[in-house]
Amino acid sequence: MPFPPAVAEALASLSLDRDTRDRIGRINFRDAGHGFDTFGMHPSFVAFGASVLGPFYDRYFRTLSYGANHIPDSGATILAANHSGNLPIDGAMLWVDVLRRTEPPRVARPIADHFVPALPFIGTVFARGGMVGGSRGNARALLEAGELLMIFPEGVPGITKPFSKRYQLQTFRVGHAELAIRHSAQVVPVGIVGGEEQMPALLSSKRLGKLVGVPILPIPAVPLPLPVRYHIRYGEPIRLDLETEPSQADDPDVVREAATRVQAAVHDLIQQGLAERNGVFG
Amino acid sequence: MSQKRGQSVLVDGAGAPIGERLVRSLLDDSRIRHIIAVTGYPPETFPVPSSDRLTVVQVDLMRSRQVHDLLFGPARDHGVEVLIHTAMHLSAMAEGVRVHAFNVDSVRNLLELCERHPTIERVVLRSASAVYQVQRDLPLLIAEDHPLNMARNAPQWVRDRVEMDLTACVRMGVAPLQVAVLRMAEALAPGTGSQMFDFLQSPVCFHPAGFDPMVNLLTIEDTVHALSCAIHGEVQGVFNIPGADTLPLTTCIRRWGRVGIPTPDSFLGPLYRLRRRLTGSDFRYGMNRRWFIYSGVLDGTRAQEVLGYVPSHPIDWPAAPSPPEDL
Repeated sequence: MPFPPAVAEALASLSLDRDTRDRIGRINFRDAGHGFDTFGMHPSFVAFGASVLGPFYDRYFRTLSYGANHIPDSGATILAANHSGNLPIDGAMLWVDVLRRTEPPRVARPIADHFVPALPFIGTVFARGGMVGGSRGNARALLEAGELLMIFPEGVPGITKPFSKRYQLQTFRVGHAELAIRHSAQVVPVGIVGGEEQMPALLSSKRLGKLVGVPILPIPAVPLPLPVRYHIRYGEPIRLDLETEPSQADDPDVVREAATRVQAAVHDLIQQGLAERNGVFG
Repeated sequence: MSQKRGQSVLVDGAGAPIGERLVRSLLDDSRIRHIIAVTGYPPETFPVPSSDRLTVVQVDLMRSRQVHDLLFGPARDHGVEVLIHTAMHLSAMAEGVRVHAFNVDSVRNLLELCERHPTIERVVLRSASAVYQVQRDLPLLIAEDHPLNMARNAPQWVRDRVEMDLTACVRMGVAPLQVAVLRMAEALAPGTGSQMFDFLQSPVCFHPAGFDPMVNLLTIEDTVHALSCAIHGEVQGVFNIPGADTLPLTTCIRRWGRVGIPTPDSFLGPLYRLRRRLTGSDFRYGMNRRWFIYSGVLDGTRAQEVLGYVPSHPIDWPAAPSPPEDL
């Protein structure tokens, strides 16, 4: 680990006020015995993440949030969002937004592609903030514990799509729908606007990506992410937990249809966000 | 979980710490009528005080005739109903035909004999979490159906454990004998074959830089508790036995009072080979590499639901925890 929890806590206390720290202290956290949960999350690192990402959320990307009241207070829930921007900043902004706007505070557990936990330092720091590797078993364990998962059903094709395809959703994978049906979870669709313009890529290289342990490496047109404004919009929960039976998780048609519904809801939220925003930076 | 009364049991591997502690625990268990402790050493060296409920015998498990005569002699006479197999070659450096015979062939022989034994109804086998494959695209929480480590280049220490485990598993349901396989987390104690214990013996522990996987560790007390639950259980199957301590590797190093030094992964293999040559340590980095990079924590849900096992004996860490982290 790059640094121990005490250091993370000390760093967090430099920029977080007492109220925020108290708030993070109230997150639903299942200590496995040494201050960490089974997946390696630690509240001090959640606070550290909030302190590091807070200025980006507030001042650099000036994030606006709509409809966070749709996130259930408790229980197994999946946030299904669009993914874009070559760097997972959209995930980071969504993570901060959920932490700030849920009461009692909830930590969204990002479900990452398999390569992320294998990245030195990054994988460990992300895990301390709540990320888990994208395997069915991990997601099952978290949903059974009533956690809030953050899933980007487009996967890598979403985040690495060319600028010319901005805000065009890539075909949603169906895993999130299957998980929701099997584990009676609600799905909250999330449309994120702003990420597509933060860091347009000149080109993407699978070969270079292989060298650094990622599936594809985008070569950005700008050295740093642009200060676009993020708009995060939550939709009405899709109650797959009420509308389907867990046994239907094995029915490909039911699962595909549910994923299509989620995709359509995310699409609508994006269109709404695009229509209502005042330019890329406004 | 229903429980029998007045059972007679046979414990092999009783000369090792886990077997010995199990025998002591069973002596305190009023539900146990008689215990046959099987050790590889002369009975007079067995450190447990003698009792009319305890018979200590010296048997070489690799010698099928000796094992046969044990089972169809004293074990039959005492009406042994449960056989607990805890014997396992402990050194990761030991390889060869004899080691395989001890780890695997002896189990096959025991099971064959137990299947036709007039009184033995149940076999409890101590297996290890090392049988599981750990890699980045597999769940961190390891359930019983998790893929096993069948890598061709896995060392004999791992291959033997996988083969022994599977040897027992294939008997389930095809014979009247009940077989319970307990895949145990590493016990952080000497004489248990724990690679983690060996790793932590050095004052300075080199670990992969940039990674801090979650590990789960067991105590001998919980190992014995799990074996005891399995003895009294009446269900066969495979059960993960996690310990009460789940923590990051670096925290484990610190709580054990060691200094952890993050080191590039590629240096660790040669470094630990050198350490092995200089100090005779048993720790093999290559064998543990994935456990030191990707997290792997046993999911004990099944053992809890079926056997009633809940880890309740945390490790007595030599070093104090970090100051309370008040957010």
